[in-house]
Amino acid sequence: MCGIIGYTGKRDAAPVLVEGLKKLEYRGYDSFGIATADGAISVVKKEGRISNHAGTAGNMKGRRGIGHTRWATHGVPNDQNAHPHTDCTNRIALVHNGIIENYAELKRELIQRGHLFRSETDTEAIVHLVEEEYAKKNHLQDAVRIAVSRLRGSYALLVLASDTEEIVAARNASPLVIGIGDAETFIASDITPMLEYTERVVFLEDGDIATVTRDHVSIYQNGKEVIRPVELIDWSVEDGKKGGFAHYMLKEIFEQPQVFYNTIRGINDAPPLPDCNRIRDPVTVVACGSSYHAGLIFKYLLEECCQIPARLDYASEFRHYPSPASGLVIGITQSGETADTLMALRLAKAHNCHTLAITNVLGSTVTRLADTTLYMRAGPEISVAATKSFIAQLAVLMHIVNRFCGNNHTETLLDAHKAIEEVLLMDLSESVGLCENAQSIFYVGRGPFYPVSLEGALKMKEISYIHAEGYPAGELKHGPFALLSEKTPVIAICMPGETYDVMISNIKEMKARGSPVIAIGRAGDTDLPEICDLFIPLPGATHLTQILTATVVLQMIAYHTAEKMGRDIDRPRNLAKSVTVE
Amino acid sequence: MMQAVILAAGEGRRVRPLTKNRPKAMIPVANRPIIEYVIDALVKNGIRDIIVVVGYRKELVTRYLNNLEIPVEVVVQNKQLGTGHALLAAEPKIRDNFIVLPGDNYIDPASIARIRDHSNAMLVKEHPSPSNFGVVILNNGHVTQIIEKPAHAPSFLVSTGIYSLTKDFFPHIRENNLTDAVSSLIASGVKIQGIPADDWQDAIYPWDLLKMNRRFLQNIPPTCDGTISRYASIHGAVQIGKGTTIGPNTVINGPVVIGNDCRIGPNCCIQPNTSIGSRVVVEPFTVIGEAIVMDDTTIGSHSRVIDTILGERCKLADHLSISTVTGLHDIEGSPTRSEFGAVLGDSVTSGPFSILKNTLVGNNVTIEGNCSLSSRQVQDNSLVI
Repeated sequence: MCGIIGYTGKRDAAPVLVEGLKKLEYRGYDSFGIATADGAISVVKKEGRISNHAGTAGNMKGRRGIGHTRWATHGVPNDQNAHPHTDCTNRIALVHNGIIENYAELKRELIQRGHLFRSETDTEAIVHLVEEEYAKKNHLQDAVRIAVSRLRGSYALLVLASDTEEIVAARNASPLVIGIGDAETFIASDITPMLEYTERVVFLEDGDIATVTRDHVSIYQNGKEVIRPVELIDWSVEDGKKGGFAHYMLKEIFEQPQVFYNTIRGINDAPPLPDCNRIRDPVTVVACGSSYHAGLIFKYLLEECCQIPARLDYASEFRHYPSPASGLVIGITQSGETADTLMALRLAKAHNCHTLAITNVLGSTVTRLADTTLYMRAGPEISVAATKSFIAQLAVLMHIVNRFCGNNHTETLLDAHKAIEEVLLMDLSESVGLCENAQSIFYVGRGPFYPVSLEGALKMKEISYIHAEGYPAGELKHGPFALLSEKTPVIAICMPGETYDVMISNIKEMKARGSPVIAIGRAGDTDLPEICDLFIPLPGATHLTQILTATVVLQMIAYHTAEKMGRDIDRPRNLAKSVTVE
Repeated sequence: MMQAVILAAGEGRRVRPLTKNRPKAMIPVANRPIIEYVIDALVKNGIRDIIVVVGYRKELVTRYLNNLEIPVEVVVQNKQLGTGHALLAAEPKIRDNFIVLPGDNYIDPASIARIRDHSNAMLVKEHPSPSNFGVVILNNGHVTQIIEKPAHAPSFLVSTGIYSLTKDFFPHIRENNLTDAVSSLIASGVKIQGIPADDWQDAIYPWDLLKMNRRFLQNIPPTCDGTISRYASIHGAVQIGKGTTIGPNTVINGPVVIGNDCRIGPNCCIQPNTSIGSRVVVEPFTVIGEAIVMDDTTIGSHSRVIDTILGERCKLADHLSISTVTGLHDIEGSPTRSEFGAVLGDSVTSGPFSILKNTLVGNNVTIEGNCSLSSRQVQDNSLVI
């Protein structure tokens, strides 16, 4: 889970790489480095974020180079372990995203042959392998091909040599995209760094080895040249900028009405779903993190509205259960690169299930893996905490529910953005005041509002670092009650319906233990304001709309709490945007 | 390179209820927020280095500006203390000469061209009610005095709030008000030229927006990206956005602009000088004219909506009848004469057979069926029975 970038072309490479790495920071940010070639190779690498050290690459020369922003897997984040890594002769520099499983064995072997290792990373083994082959053949692409044939694991790597114009890239189970500009070529983990220079991109596939120069790209698979299509990207540069908002997260929260509407409108052009009459086999959903919560909401809705049994698994646990023998398996991943979800879908495909991917990234690995892909139209999401991508996932999932139950909810879905917009205008400062001094916060709800609570709690802990837990309201009595006190606010989602009465009694029980209760209910509710400390009235009369608005309210409470506490909201400690390792 | 600073941080309290959820600069007139006309006028004069000061409801303004084709820089005024204070927020970005202008007043590109090449000048304009503005006294084309909102104005010439200044102006901002700072600049001996503006419009009260709407619709080119029934008839300059459907037997008489994804008719009549936003639904047998209808609003069948501004997300049931009468309204403590149908804030719902005349309705108001309101003001979040 790192970000890599390469550049060769008419400009000085270092500034292009620095700006590009800043855009890739969401993939990891504990250290970074840049290598440029101008006759000889020069390397700058540092612990910490590139945003804090932007000046360090100021006087690097050369019009081709590679860069890396790291999220440590092997070896602590420090200057030595930062990429790029160079070989013993300083002729070759290499950056790598992924994990090499057999690196220990390779390293032993290479040390025996006299190579000097300077870091604790798995990556350094690759650069020495390339060094040996390059010395024999003096052909960089062949050297890389032979070197990677020795590797087991996942990698996207870029290799730069002092004495050839080419940059060689190889991909296996980690993403790589080539951007074709005017007398310049980019290659990176995703398209964000190249958006401002070009809209023409080529997505590499597993096993590809590519050689790029400023005006030529050639791609090889198993030693044979292959043609990959050039695709046009319609994300504008502005999409990737913060543009006046204090944080990307706030920007993305405010984009949600539009994102929801666009996703619902846009999905009509999507490929048809597998015939819903045939789907009396169970539906299985695999996902991680926020996507798992979206999946859980989907499970409730599918069973409640369509009476179709649904199973939900954490993608990382999927393979430890017996796999379903038939039916539909839905994988949800914002980035399209989440390693666990990809693995689960591969397994499902091997078991002959129909696989459906829900993702935000065009051309990502999952789109090539799944039988059908539905896109969420969220645009690039930079903030590590998922907000608009979650809403877009819900849009896609609610669309599926709507299809399977005979299009009863089309109008509700087309109108839902209005309610989301109204929620954005709310003043939640009192609730934030209650949360910011809390030690722990409990989020409770019933039915589909239980996963909404889970997601609310996840947002809170991700960005404010306050311990927060989501529970089904009935479960609180089975243990967590012991933790309730005046210092542990409870946020309860209590909507009219079957669960209303029992939620009211649950809230009274919590009040009796002294916890301050923030209730989220329907506008016009007269009971809730009386028994709770704070009442947040939600617009939206239908179940589906209430799920969306409650989600957005909880996002805003988390955001404003973290903002008051002065947290680094867009890049919370220890987290990275997409988890591309298992 | 000339820079421009657009002040869009203030609420515009006199235009309530429309400014509850957006600053005045963001109110759509002819389907574009007022600030967009200001940005257009600057770009037409080759001024592309634009800084916008935001404050009140800043997230909504910023979100909007992010989606514009022209990149603008956004700076934040944290507390809305005044126009001078707002300009200070942009000070670090200013290099030398700059134009400062309010984001909630219309100005034509030709007037900007007149002031662009002067340093230390202001645009002035005659106005029939000068007491609402800073009244300007000129001597030989130079400003000698600005009197802020005088009870008895000595002339009809008022300040448009549009100035061409240099970086040396900033030390003069000692109070929060921009006019005070300009007076201080004059007192220090700097000569400020008063240059007449051609077309400058400010909506002081909500119903003034209808006049502005009429003005902006004058020169629209007709376009059609929607689906129009062959039994509909369309006359004059009419713009119809993508995804909009116009049902059979609907008559539209331009100038009219209709946004995207609307559903109009069948059997409706849209009269001249009407702006309809996006995703608006107009049910059958309804007449709309001289009106601004904002996004996501639904108007029931058999209704009559004349001389009216409807906010976003309103849900108005059938047989709503709005008509124009004159009346007095208390705006920010002063009684004000007005003539209009109705002004509704956002998210208003009304039941069937409601009658509104010369009435201001706040945001999130629910009006039950069969209510009749004449020359009234309904506060936000009320229930009318």
